[in-house]
Amino acid sequence: MAKHGLAALMLCGALTLVASQGIAAETLKIGMVAPLTGPAAESGRFQVNGAKLAADEVNKAGGVLGKQLELVIEDDQTTNPGAVLAFSKLAGDSDIPAFIGSIRSTQVHAMAPDVIKTGKPMMIGGTDPKLTHMGNPWLFRFRPNDTYSARVIAEYGVNVLNRKKWAIVHSTDAFGTAGKNALAEQLKALGAEVMITQGYTNNSQDFTPVALAVKQAGAEVLSSYVTFETDQGILAKQMRQLGVDLPWIGSTTIATTSALRLAGAALNGTYGVTDYTEKASPASEAFAQKYMAAYGTKADVFAAWPFDAVTVLAKAINNAGGTDPEKIRAAIMDISGLAGAEGTYDFDQNGDGLHGYNIVHNDNGTIVFERRIDFKD
Amino acid sequence: MSMIPQLLFTGLGIGSIYALVALGFVLIYRATNVVNFAQGDFSMIGAFIMVVLAIDLGVPYWIAVIVAVVTMAAFGILFNYGVYYPLRHRTFLPVVISTIGASILLQNGVLAAYGPHPQSLPPMLPFPGFTVGGVFLDSQYLLILVVTFALVALQYLFFERTMLGKKLQATSQDKEMASLLGIPVALMIGITFAYSAVLGGVAGILVAPLLFVSINMGSTIALKAFAASIIGGFGDVTGAIVGGLALGVVETFGAAYISVPYKDGFAFLVLFLFLMVRPQGVFGEKVAEKA
Amino acid sequence: MTTNATLSHPAPATSRGAIAGGIVLAVIAVALAALPQIMPLSGYVLNMLMQAVTYTVAVLGLTVVLGYTGQLSLAQAAFFGIGAYAVALGTVDYGLGFWLSMALGLVASAAAGAVLGLTSLRIGGHYLAMVTIAFQQIVTLVLVNSIEFTHGPDGVSGIARPNLPGVSLTNGRAYLTFCIVVLYAVALGVWYLRRTRLGRAMQAVRDNELAAGVVGVHTYRTKVVAFTISAVLGGLGGALFASGFSYISPDQFSFAESVVFLTMALIGGVQSAFGTALGTGLLILLPEWLRFLKEIYLAIYGLSVILIMVFMPEGIWGLLERIARGGGAKPAAALVTPRPFRLEIASDGPAEFLETRGLAKHFGGLRAVDGVDLTVRRGTVHALIGPNGSGKTTLLNVLSGLYKPTAGSVTLAGRDITRLAPHERCAAGVGRTFQNIRLFRSLSILDNVLVGAQRPGAPARGEAQLRERAYEALGFVGLADKASELVGSLPYGHQRLVEIARALAGQPALLLLDEPAAGLNPTEKQDLVGLLRRLKGHGLTIFLIDHDMAMVERIADHITVLNFGKRIAEGSPRDVLRQPAVIAAYLGEVPTHGAA
Repeated sequence: MAKHGLAALMLCGALTLVASQGIAAETLKIGMVAPLTGPAAESGRFQVNGAKLAADEVNKAGGVLGKQLELVIEDDQTTNPGAVLAFSKLAGDSDIPAFIGSIRSTQVHAMAPDVIKTGKPMMIGGTDPKLTHMGNPWLFRFRPNDTYSARVIAEYGVNVLNRKKWAIVHSTDAFGTAGKNALAEQLKALGAEVMITQGYTNNSQDFTPVALAVKQAGAEVLSSYVTFETDQGILAKQMRQLGVDLPWIGSTTIATTSALRLAGAALNGTYGVTDYTEKASPASEAFAQKYMAAYGTKADVFAAWPFDAVTVLAKAINNAGGTDPEKIRAAIMDISGLAGAEGTYDFDQNGDGLHGYNIVHNDNGTIVFERRIDFKD
Repeated sequence: MSMIPQLLFTGLGIGSIYALVALGFVLIYRATNVVNFAQGDFSMIGAFIMVVLAIDLGVPYWIAVIVAVVTMAAFGILFNYGVYYPLRHRTFLPVVISTIGASILLQNGVLAAYGPHPQSLPPMLPFPGFTVGGVFLDSQYLLILVVTFALVALQYLFFERTMLGKKLQATSQDKEMASLLGIPVALMIGITFAYSAVLGGVAGILVAPLLFVSINMGSTIALKAFAASIIGGFGDVTGAIVGGLALGVVETFGAAYISVPYKDGFAFLVLFLFLMVRPQGVFGEKVAEKA
Repeated sequence: MTTNATLSHPAPATSRGAIAGGIVLAVIAVALAALPQIMPLSGYVLNMLMQAVTYTVAVLGLTVVLGYTGQLSLAQAAFFGIGAYAVALGTVDYGLGFWLSMALGLVASAAAGAVLGLTSLRIGGHYLAMVTIAFQQIVTLVLVNSIEFTHGPDGVSGIARPNLPGVSLTNGRAYLTFCIVVLYAVALGVWYLRRTRLGRAMQAVRDNELAAGVVGVHTYRTKVVAFTISAVLGGLGGALFASGFSYISPDQFSFAESVVFLTMALIGGVQSAFGTALGTGLLILLPEWLRFLKEIYLAIYGLSVILIMVFMPEGIWGLLERIARGGGAKPAAALVTPRPFRLEIASDGPAEFLETRGLAKHFGGLRAVDGVDLTVRRGTVHALIGPNGSGKTTLLNVLSGLYKPTAGSVTLAGRDITRLAPHERCAAGVGRTFQNIRLFRSLSILDNVLVGAQRPGAPARGEAQLRERAYEALGFVGLADKASELVGSLPYGHQRLVEIARALAGQPALLLLDEPAAGLNPTEKQDLVGLLRRLKGHGLTIFLIDHDMAMVERIADHITVLNFGKRIAEGSPRDVLRQPAVIAAYLGEVPTHGAA
């Protein structure tokens, strides 16, 4: 019966507590929640690699507060309850002064109440604008939020490509819906017209109705918020097969390595917004080389943000001179003009560190850096 | 508008994938009275074997296909002995749960062994497709349609014209009677699993160029295929084909004319209606329990 | 050895070990509920306990629908979601407060469960599974896509926790204690349900739906009720979960979660409330314990599911029970002397007790019963004989309502019962047994007979009277001392007697027996004849099929002979068995004419 199981659990919990206190604090531990299993396990690997790379670098440079940095990684199983459990497990370790959270917005939402209770800073990669605008003082974002991706897409499409009639295709998940809404708003502000909006559910096997609708809408440019690479690949192939040859500006997924491999030539000529691009700056180029040297694969956006998060966090703790959460928080807020793989960090009062995106161009299968568009607000 | 023929073609294409997977469901159901919740993962395994052989090891494409098919047959027998056979005397529930467990095991086993990156297989035919009167006919979809119908025809001949096929049929209809007639029932069930795994694997290899190869590629398809086989009349081969094709078409038109995000809902709505109005499906017969 | 006092509590096996076990459980239970108040819990343990407790409430719903009633539902996460979203949207968007929101959630999940059950439970098995999957998928799509109402994929955050008068539950530990108390109440309720009329009816449906209907269980209603209870418990668990974690999103209520719920129930042991709780706790812990395996732990989890199904079919709790039972003695026999058997049968009314006119049942082209006129007189033993395949069992199935007749009518004591369902006929006073014994195999002998005793309209009311009645019937067939044994462990002859006792407990006026002597040895046959004579003495009308002519000749007052679905002879045993048509039918010759 439950009571036996739960009693055993209590014991287990107690043992964990003892075990974690048994290890003396020779290292400075940073907790990290990452998807090691489940549908997002692919990106999880990149995240862990990126964070480890930064930790190694920090440690070679003398560590944090004179101690070696140690990453304590818990699997979130790509689910929300998994993320909550993983986080609460980390939060139970009082030696951990700060956390690296998730790149998925819903998971950050799920963990947010516990983060407030824990009262320690968490670095996040989720790009839902709300995350840093809901009065939670402990969330710090290491990717530009979706209002910026939408602003950059709109800005580039309307003012650079000079297209006024838009088609929007988006996933109906949190990311896609928020992106679609922000983009529609930005386009309206720039005086462009949305001819058609098509949502689809993740893991769709077929986009024929979407492609046909877009084809008939009379749009001059296509924009997309797609979550999964497989969806991106199928969407691209079918768009091209059904004769949709519009210029295409997509969210980050459109320029990922996996999407390029899956879609092949179907994505040639498209534009993408990415927060991380190899050639965007000397700092991102340096990161790309280090990553390649360490793991033998090309770095991805998933690897870049935890790299920056660990780097910034280490610097902030060193600046704070201790592990008091309030002091770390203040030190992060003070970070200014720090060049990271993702861009130059300048934390605003909400905890957003970045305020712009890169535009990249798919030149026959090669991702070429086009320009960086940053905003002041 | 010219949308209709294009939607019809795509619907039939997607539908033929459902039909192919549904065939595997139906075969195992007929032999064992059990719904195999890992049927979709057979497709995933088949596709991954192809990726390993044809992409990673560089085995010539058609040799790789043959090796993959043989491997799938062996896999089906292994699956039978690991997942079904020890539970054969139990009610359908433990077996269903066991296949659910197998599905989790297979997906995460492949994840651990191969990593999470979705993969792609080259199309089987050297040309992408034709455009006929404004309708793009994807060569891979055409191939799937042809293979599905060829398999059904072959299967018909096999079951009706060969001794082994007749033995298999006898086994699926009445295991006790079959065993009294000297038919090795356990072997027949083993063969059914092998064939069903081959069918699933072939489906996976066929859809890979279209939908790519990923850990969970089989899950959604399998659920729809299951729905399709019920709409057609559970346990009926023709029903599975018709149900699959119909579901693909309904879904595609529903998405185009009603709502794209609710696309997956149409299949289940149709299923709902069917179960209320005609639970035995299009081709199924009502069966009453004997008192 | 007192009668009435013991009768109301015929001791279910209470050994010293069981009492000790109960005390230990109770102590652990109280300690656990108090634990959050005494010991400081880390957020990790608190969250995990919260998840385990709220999930268990929902999984207990599966104990009712799957464990007790045998219906497979793969939509428990959808009901869980309905409860969770009711609390989330109610407290966050509409300011309704926790309690009102939760009440609405329970009503909504009950309504959804009832509607789903009403539409799909006539068909069972894989079909029900598929309908529930379809419902599950549609709920998920609505949660994701109707953004104005559900907040869509963003989910709902800032869900409030409730207050009890004088006690604030906003604190995590207080709330957990509250959830544990609710869980205990639910678990106790589910555990107790098994021992109630409804619970027995559910188990009867699970073990043998056909027989359940014939002994008076409204099978369809029972299934719908079970499904609705299950949905409500799903909703309750979800409501508690939403407040516990204060944030919910659609992916927490997906099909995959329904599968997880199902696995939890089965691994622990779905037929027991305790097993369910054990399984849920274990499946929440297992991934946590397996975390050290990192990448492969879900694979190991899948493997464990298969292994548990193969090696522990009744789940872990079932295994524990078996070990416990193996160690102890057999359940002790109840020390009860039953009251003498009574049958209250109205003696007024027409002498033609059961009448059929032109009764026919065709299967496609096969005329199994082909226009039979039959009159069974009150208080007689009437035998139906005929060669194999002559349509005897089909006729009996039409009489007991299992088959709908193609044509003709059936009248019982002047009342037309042609259109009545099996359980309605049972209520009208028709009892029956089956040729291939159909008992509720996982129930005790007493519970089998209790299901018969509790048929609608039976004079026995209340648990005490029902038991008294069941013991009377068991006493009548001579099995009162075996009441607490499982039917599966009985010899064949005794199983037949249990079936008869089950029918008798329901106070029938007419008893239909399908080959009651089949498979009995001569002594048992002798006893059966005596039993039937005694029943006749009680004024019961008996209509039976049998092949044993010697026996039929000894007990039957009247015989009807059936061949090729038609009545070919009728009369007293001595007359009928001499008729050439009957002899020809039995010897396999084509009858020259069908004269009676």
